[in-house]
Amino acid sequence: MSRAALGPALAQAPDTRVESPGYALQLERVSKRYPNGILANAEVSLGIVAGEIHAIVGENGAGKSTALKLMYGLERPDSGSIVIDGTPAVLRSPRDAMRLGIGLVPQHLKLVQSFTVAENITLGNEPCHWGFIRSKADALESVEALCARYGLPVDASRVVGQLAIGVQQRVEILKALRGKPRVLLLDEPTSLLSPQEAEALFESLEALASQGMAIVMVSHKVPEIRQVAKRFTVMRGGRVVAGGIPGDFSDEQLSELIVGQQLPRFDAARKKAERAPLLQVRNLSVRTGAAKPRLADVDLDIAAGEILGIAGVEGSGQSALFEVLCGLRAPTTGLAALDGKAISGAGVRHARESGVAYVPEDRMRVGFAPGLSLAENLFSGDYFKRPQSRRGVIDPQAMALRARRLIARFGIRPADENVSAGMLSGGNIQKAIVAREIDARPGLLLAAQPTRGVDIAAAQELHAAIVALRDSGAAILLSSTDLGELFTLADRIIVLFEGRIVAHFSAERFSQLDIGLAMTGMAIDPRANGLLPALGANRALHGTRAP
Amino acid sequence: MSEISRVGRDRLSERGNLALVIAIALACGFVLTLLTSAQPLRAFHVLLTGAMPEIRWSAQGIEFSRVGRLATVVEETITLSLLGLAILIGFRARQFSLGADGQFFLAALAATFVSVKLGGIPWLGFPAAMLAALLVGLVFGAIPGVLKAYLSCNEIVTTLMLNVVAVQLYRYVITTGFNEAGAGFLVTPRIPAALLFAPLISGTAITAFLFVVPLAVCVCWFLINRTVIGYEMRVVADNPWFARQAGIPLVRPVILSMALGGAFAGLAGLHVSNALLKQLPVDMSPGIGLEGLVVALLARNDPKIVPIAAFLYAYLKTGAQVMERTTDVPKEMVLVIQACIVLCFAASTLVEFQAGTRLRDLMRRGRRKAASKAGGEHG
Repeated sequence: MSRAALGPALAQAPDTRVESPGYALQLERVSKRYPNGILANAEVSLGIVAGEIHAIVGENGAGKSTALKLMYGLERPDSGSIVIDGTPAVLRSPRDAMRLGIGLVPQHLKLVQSFTVAENITLGNEPCHWGFIRSKADALESVEALCARYGLPVDASRVVGQLAIGVQQRVEILKALRGKPRVLLLDEPTSLLSPQEAEALFESLEALASQGMAIVMVSHKVPEIRQVAKRFTVMRGGRVVAGGIPGDFSDEQLSELIVGQQLPRFDAARKKAERAPLLQVRNLSVRTGAAKPRLADVDLDIAAGEILGIAGVEGSGQSALFEVLCGLRAPTTGLAALDGKAISGAGVRHARESGVAYVPEDRMRVGFAPGLSLAENLFSGDYFKRPQSRRGVIDPQAMALRARRLIARFGIRPADENVSAGMLSGGNIQKAIVAREIDARPGLLLAAQPTRGVDIAAAQELHAAIVALRDSGAAILLSSTDLGELFTLADRIIVLFEGRIVAHFSAERFSQLDIGLAMTGMAIDPRANGLLPALGANRALHGTRAP
Repeated sequence: MSEISRVGRDRLSERGNLALVIAIALACGFVLTLLTSAQPLRAFHVLLTGAMPEIRWSAQGIEFSRVGRLATVVEETITLSLLGLAILIGFRARQFSLGADGQFFLAALAATFVSVKLGGIPWLGFPAAMLAALLVGLVFGAIPGVLKAYLSCNEIVTTLMLNVVAVQLYRYVITTGFNEAGAGFLVTPRIPAALLFAPLISGTAITAFLFVVPLAVCVCWFLINRTVIGYEMRVVADNPWFARQAGIPLVRPVILSMALGGAFAGLAGLHVSNALLKQLPVDMSPGIGLEGLVVALLARNDPKIVPIAAFLYAYLKTGAQVMERTTDVPKEMVLVIQACIVLCFAASTLVEFQAGTRLRDLMRRGRRKAASKAGGEHG
């Protein structure tokens, strides 16, 4: 289609496709309005070229996921058409999409945790013989062949639940590749990954593209678009607003296109923190069964008004540490005390009553109740206390007032406390969770990946809220796979590796290289701990390299 | 739970309203009637109108006959409403507790026993009988709750088995001692008139219990939507993992939802003993608790709808009895219709109970952890 033929619509929905006939997949002016009235895609046109990685960029709610769903047959467009290899196609279901050579790797992994890799990959499409599922060995063999063909190594006999997230994602990719797709769609593939894992993913994707596959990657991270995408499309408010080759745009231009306005750079000026520790963790260990300890001999302090960052590859003990501190898990040895009072080992409610608040990492699963209203979700921390409830009877007025206040302060959308929480977008759910936890006025905030999967503007709001809490004198323990986030916010950073603190850096010594080396176990300081320097642990405060 | 099933369920709860489901069920029943009956149209006409009083115009003015049938519908509506609420409370905490039958039997027996023993002192006997019914229902409902919360016993299995225990205990008590000598058949002594609910309309058993139903609906709604325990029930039902992470107790709502359901079943028992039957026969037929299940399903777990659903069901049931008496179609046809109603909801309801399975896994895991910790301390 020539650009002229698009006519006046061009002003609103630029067609960013190149003049080339070699599209593996095209969207032609597709629109999609959801039953709740939201126009998720408006006249979206884009084309994916075989052998290229194409990034679709935009904020939460920009319509990226909807575009992906349309391409995979999970949703059907209200108007416009989907063209596959030059032929218009009607995708009634993912099965149609798969048949036409389209595979999807979902953002939230949908694997059966208790099944092996081979069982997961063959699930629903098991190798059959006369209608019977053939032996596990056959499945294993076919999966191993698959791994070899695409150069994605995974031990096919392992149980998925025991694998790191990055490896689990590789399993999802293999699952999508099993249908021999020519177009591979990935929904925010790096949102779960550590930098190293993301690196490995990009290498795999580039290898796949070089074999002639068309790859669509949804993302909102500018650096990774620069790194891997040959071509990109920016979406905002359901429309395509720009597109082209990443090199043609500056960082500022890109972020302006994504966000729609120039954002003031967030600056979390560090305060001089107090020297006396508010949180004290001593000799904390968590051992489960005969395997390696989840957490070993962790000593750390956090002063009032201080943010301690945790860096580490996923699964290095962060979740065990958070679970102990929030009371979900009793430590095998050691203790944690907030303001002199023990918080560990006596259950979640005890910890919360002692002033601990927790923004969990796996928020979609454990962070909220989707079937309850937003107001009821914002209520879960202290519903049993006055004035929220009296003698076991809830005060709906108090609940609604609190909800409206938090909705206004944190900009949660939709601004309706009666909407069921499951209707909120991921970013707004996270805002609601952070709002609830900060509103509890905690002495210690545990923030696990608080901005993962959240768009730039929302992430900045969340950062501002965390810093405001810090300034009010709370101790904050922050984990993130995004080192930039830790560098911006943390006063000190500890690095966890295999359940131990292996390095400790103060703000003026932050270094991407040193932290990266410690995260991957290449530079371990056996004496490292997270104590405040004034307490005589000066030597541990240097991120030292292994001799 | 996948997003698709969630959407599907919402859609069903929106559109799959009472009328539609009953229409589908009736249509299935009609097809079967066509196949088996010589006079299918008449049979269905009787089924649908049998419970209505006949209105005749005569010289004296308007005359009603068969008013008794409508009274039966109302009486049945009261019992079924209370039983529907009993099942519904468990459902709202995502506990598939089917113990209303057993709770109802034992509560009716307890109320009768207290009424007979304290018949001479009505001011004490009346509240005592009520308390006995409520307490017995509560305690018998709490048993499967405790078994579920602490031992992960599937509540469907335990409640159905406890129903058998309750009914046999009921028969044992009446057979071996608590019966009226010289009645000619096994039946409890008659409850003294002072302790019976007085009929509002003479010739019927419609009593002040009619006003208990809206009250019970309000209490149930308030309990679920406005109390701390109701909030905990709903959170645990919706996402047990979130409840655990937020420090919301997991055990208490499970036990209390089943126990409070039992109290409502106990109220139904009191209605049957002290308003309807006045003395309990040993062969009172079990199964009415499961009709409460149908009512709860029809009401889509909304307490406000329960009386309407109970009325519709009682209406059909009464019509079916007339149909059996006057045509060649047995009243079991209503069982077919009942089964169709359950099937219409089963698909969506089963999805909801997947979350119940999640809760069980969670508790099991918690105990394993506690056990391994205890073991670790010994070692």
